[in-house]
Amino acid sequence: MKASPFLGPLLVLPALGVILLLFVWPLLYSLVGAFVTGEGWGLGNFAKTVELYRSDILFTFLIVGLSTLLIAVFAVAIGGYLVLGSNPRAQAILRWLYRWPLFIPFIVAGQLMRTFLAKNGLLNGMLVEAGLLTPLQTLSFLDWRGIVIAFVWKQTPFVALLVAGAMAGLDRSMFEAARNLGASRLRILVEIVVPQVMQTLLVGLILSFVIMLSVLSVPLMINAQTPTMITANMAFRINAYGDYGVANALGVISYLMAGAVAWIYLRYAVRERMEQR
Amino acid sequence: MRQSRAMIASLIGGTMLATTSLAMAETLTVVTAGDQNMVDYINEFLAPRFEAANPGNTVRALGTGPGDAGSQMIYERLAAQKAAGATDVDVDVAVVHQKMAGQMVEEGLLESYRDKIGTGDLVTRDTAKMALGTDVDGYVMPMFHSQTAIAYNPALVPEPPQTYEELVEWVAENPGQFGYNGIKGGMSGVSFVMGWMYAFTDQGEQLMNGPFDESTEAAWSDALAKLKAFNENVTFSPGNAGTLDMLNRGEIAMGPVWVDMFYTWQADGRLNPDLKLSLIGPGMPGQPMYYVVPEGAANAELAAKFIELATSPAVQAEGIVERFNWYPGIDAQHVQAELDDATWQRLFADVGPEDLAEKGKPFPIGPYFDAILEAYERQVTN
Repeated sequence: MKASPFLGPLLVLPALGVILLLFVWPLLYSLVGAFVTGEGWGLGNFAKTVELYRSDILFTFLIVGLSTLLIAVFAVAIGGYLVLGSNPRAQAILRWLYRWPLFIPFIVAGQLMRTFLAKNGLLNGMLVEAGLLTPLQTLSFLDWRGIVIAFVWKQTPFVALLVAGAMAGLDRSMFEAARNLGASRLRILVEIVVPQVMQTLLVGLILSFVIMLSVLSVPLMINAQTPTMITANMAFRINAYGDYGVANALGVISYLMAGAVAWIYLRYAVRERMEQR
Repeated sequence: MRQSRAMIASLIGGTMLATTSLAMAETLTVVTAGDQNMVDYINEFLAPRFEAANPGNTVRALGTGPGDAGSQMIYERLAAQKAAGATDVDVDVAVVHQKMAGQMVEEGLLESYRDKIGTGDLVTRDTAKMALGTDVDGYVMPMFHSQTAIAYNPALVPEPPQTYEELVEWVAENPGQFGYNGIKGGMSGVSFVMGWMYAFTDQGEQLMNGPFDESTEAAWSDALAKLKAFNENVTFSPGNAGTLDMLNRGEIAMGPVWVDMFYTWQADGRLNPDLKLSLIGPGMPGQPMYYVVPEGAANAELAAKFIELATSPAVQAEGIVERFNWYPGIDAQHVQAELDDATWQRLFADVGPEDLAEKGKPFPIGPYFDAILEAYERQVTN
């Protein structure tokens, strides 16, 4: 029996419909909304965004960028120890432990950090009890540092999971050859392992970057200072003023940030592929 | 349990409503802005009483979240249903903040019901007639009144400042010891900023009563520059609860809080019992929350009955004052008669009735409210 030529497209339709209705339509709606002002079409929302939130935009980029770098370092370190480590027991414990934050939602992470990192919170309390600090020396980490700590803590396992999987798939005989020639483990990690899992690492980092860009709960719960992340400003525009225009403009800026990172990755991936040919 | 059931019910939404409204037993949908305690109050306190008085009917309560954000969600839900031409609106009673109540009345989203209920004439305060400059007479019944004040730790601050002016001096001498949550972390911080504007611009009366005049904004720059300098010596807290947490952990010695939240936390043992309140001059804002009935509500009659019960002196006394430490929504004398003296006095332990009358201010009218927030963003945080 020959399949009807319409069957294929027909089967795709529901999925396509869902994407169009639930993703493309709201995306276009918010993109267009960014250009609608009280006086019709215009760039008024962007002017106000730049006037009021330029430092917040820069702050967001720096915070998320720094978090992404730290995540890369920790994820490679965890993945590296899991393939190259020499103590099987430590490896087993690490393998068991490192994934835990994966299962904790951002808002819970925010809540944990809020009491953990406060000036008289758990972390400082432990340091004081241990005699490492006096109560007068304690500092509150509930500012940009708190956001970075929460982000890195939450997203490292995600990237580490991907990277460790890719590393486990590499040919171990290469490491052994390098070891026999006298290379240190760190050198094997940096010069042999990481270049081979670069693609996977980048994918994980870009996904993390985009996810962190969109998190509202963590800056809201941890960072009381200004500047703050643009998600908090978007929520504020809508909740305090009912102003979707500027909120949409901030959204467009966040698309642009995510888009820029994706573009960098695509360029890298294309170049890699060309070189492989 | 009850709440999760209510959530599921709301997901099933419109179709459910259509079928239940055919039957004799009605389900009254009450949607409330505000913290979880609002939902608890309706579920645990009002619903059983209403269901006992009206056998066969059930109440389900939904919360839309704290602050103006919660009211904004209710507004969007009603505005969307009106735009779609819905006849049976799926919200019977809503509990909203002042600012949104005005906007809803102006856009014709609410029904005038106060004359139809027995408790309608128990409230004569101006908040029942005007909401931040908008005439809402007849459309609202205040559920409760709330007030912000400065909470302080007497061990660290034996003589708390009595005015904003004194507070500024105190903060200059004790940097980092005063904490508030800015304007993006909840209404207690917003309230502090509005009180600041009443204190340091000479436009207090106009800000509270209108009329709105865009040119007044030019005269705010001194007050805002002063606030920017003040903020240099301030510790910022994450949210209304954040201020209380920091007070409790001894990280700050003073900060603006909601009076009801303060007393409730103290009663629950979540806050140092030694902390005290002071309402500083010239005054800080407070606000009521309103019961409103949407235009075209599916169970409008039952809704009116519900609000009548909720604003009766007995319920206001036991529920609003005794359980939740709010100031009553209806006039105080009707409620005081229902309570023993000790309970009534507890409500005024730190902030007496005279202080409240003199220094309890409304928020600025809607357009000034937004303009002040944006001026703060532009000049203080930038």
